Amino acid sequence: MKTASRILGTALFLDGFEVQDAPRYGAERRGAPIFAYVRADSREIHERGIIDRPDLVVVADDSLCQVPAAGVRLGLSAQTVVLIRSREDAATWRERLRVPGPMLVLPASSTDDDGGESLLGAECVGAAARLLGVVTRDSLKAATGQELERLPEEVRARNVRAALRVFDGHADHAGIVTGQPTLPLAAQEPPRWIDLQVESADVAAPTIHAGGTSVQVRTGLWRTMRPVVDHERCHRCHWMCALPCPDNALLVDDAGYPRVDLDHCKGCMICVAQCPFHVIHAVPEHEAQTAERAEAGDA
Amino acid sequence: MRPEGQRDDKPIRKLKQLPARHIMASGTPMCAGCGGLEAINEAYDVLGENTIFVNAAGCMTLLSIYPYTPFRGSWLYTAMAAAPAGAQGVRDALDVLAAKGKLDRDEDLEVVVLTGDGSAYGMGLSATSGALERDLDFLYICYDNEGYGNTGHQYSGATPHAARTATSRGEHGFGGYKKDLFSIWAAHRPAYVATALAAEPLDLAKKVQKAKQLKGPRLILALSPCPTGWDFEPRDALEMGRLAVETGVWPLKEYVDGVVTHTKVPKTRLPVERYLGRQGRFRHLFEPERDTGQLDEIQARVDAYWDAIER
Ligand SMILES: Cc1ncc(C[n+]2csc(CCOP(=O)(O)OP(=O)(O)O)c2C)c(N)n1
Ligand code: SF4
Repeated sequence: MKTASRILGTALFLDGFEVQDAPRYGAERRGAPIFAYVRADSREIHERGIIDRPDLVVVADDSLCQVPAAGVRLGLSAQTVVLIRSREDAATWRERLRVPGPMLVLPASSTDDDGGESLLGAECVGAAARLLGVVTRDSLKAATGQELERLPEEVRARNVRAALRVFDGHADHAGIVTGQPTLPLAAQEPPRWIDLQVESADVAAPTIHAGGTSVQVRTGLWRTMRPVVDHERCHRCHWMCALPCPDNALLVDDAGYPRVDLDHCKGCMICVAQCPFHVIHAVPEHEAQTAERAEAGDA
Repeated sequence: MRPEGQRDDKPIRKLKQLPARHIMASGTPMCAGCGGLEAINEAYDVLGENTIFVNAAGCMTLLSIYPYTPFRGSWLYTAMAAAPAGAQGVRDALDVLAAKGKLDRDEDLEVVVLTGDGSAYGMGLSATSGALERDLDFLYICYDNEGYGNTGHQYSGATPHAARTATSRGEHGFGGYKKDLFSIWAAHRPAYVATALAAEPLDLAKKVQKAKQLKGPRLILALSPCPTGWDFEPRDALEMGRLAVETGVWPLKEYVDGVVTHTKVPKTRLPVERYLGRQGRFRHLFEPERDTGQLDEIQARVDAYWDAIER
């Protein structure tokens, strides 16, 4: 996403805009949400810092909507266009997220037209550039090439193709992002202060006496692949798969069979690599969920 | 099969003796496939719930983010260079309480310092040396992911020669050599020093058990394959650890009473490139052209280590 924001920023710059782009991380770790901001104007930009009133929000993966720290809805207004990469449709997301303005979906698939792995960043930037309406196709092409200069030629070319394909595919929505006028300082809302009562420390920040409270965190949302154990062929040597699971997400039942804790399995697939009998399979998460829904429907 | 955690101190001899379920809870924010988290999981089972972790800034400080914790007991956060000093304070407090008769024996805690290699090999070394000098009764667990993981994998004193890091982006990667922390510790003549890693759970469990039974300063130095910093697929985290052992890059050994013993000597060592070639941080040694000079040098250093041992 950081690279995607740089591509968009460079494309805008090539088209004559003043540009800022900057990523924001919490921890630099897989699984942590990352943000990248692009600010562009035809005049000099004096504003700094994160964007709190976005004109366009691109959500690269719909699972982020369930992660509070990702703050997908922050700062949305009736003028904000929300583009979300998902397998579900716009109506579903509008309803679910209560988006006040235009809502579009960038269809997610695991492979792209070239048959290779889908290039999420390039797709997002292609769509974003078209929705802005002020970025030319040539600048997008040049910016993608420029920002991916360090990658092998073939990878760079695939990214350029993906960005342009999505750019072309969004012609119907060209320029849907209108941009909101910059609010003069006087018109900006002051922060809404909440008066907190002075409370004793054990009320204001209660001491946690229980252990293992992290089970409340659903790291299962990170998963893109799901391990599925074929119990019929399982030899119950759970010390091979359950013992080395870093997330303690393979629970061994009374009969000695490993069972995946879907709320916490991050999808690292160590168990798949470990099983000496190859009876744990890696299944794309969306396929597993579709199958589950179908099964629930049948029942 | 014991349902949760290692509850007694029967000598661990077989893999099957290890618990099927770790006492550390799920839901931590570590990367999928984190080799460091797995090593801590395995060690914690042997240490048991009466453990307090004193944790210097690094990836693992994100384990405990109020109000969430995967631990069963207490955890203390310290500055990067200060974890052994923090451990001194905790140990002293426990001893004072015990001396006053305010702490039952079964309430006593094992004080465990938990840090990455940035602290253990570098920033925290002075505090560590001081704690060793004072013969502090504590266990130090270092998960060695060979770089400053939490801040985007810059090089540390533990980074191996030629590895690319966020601060060693040049053509040849990191120009320095991995510091020998095992020997630095051993030179202080502490109670126990051992190398380990999650991919050898039995070896690790035995060492933690041995460390637990001793008093004084003790170190478990666990190589921690890091998919994010080393650039490999999370599913290969254990395989990467096994290759580190089988190529001889990561010798499994321990120091007790002035004697160093290797706990696992690979019969025929695999060529180091079997290990290096699987990690993106060494890709420049293979592509676009093979860097024979560097590969030979790395191999020669590993060979020299084992030649000296086997002589
Ligand atoms: C004195 C000081 N300098 C820098 C930092 C910022 N910082 C936080 S975590 C971290 C990396 C620590 O690396 P390491 O000890 O190897 O642990 P890892 O992140 O790999 O788990 C750094 C540099 C800090 N907390 N304190
Ligand atoms: S960066 Fe490496 S050590 Fe840190 S949590 Fe991720 S895998 Fe573990």
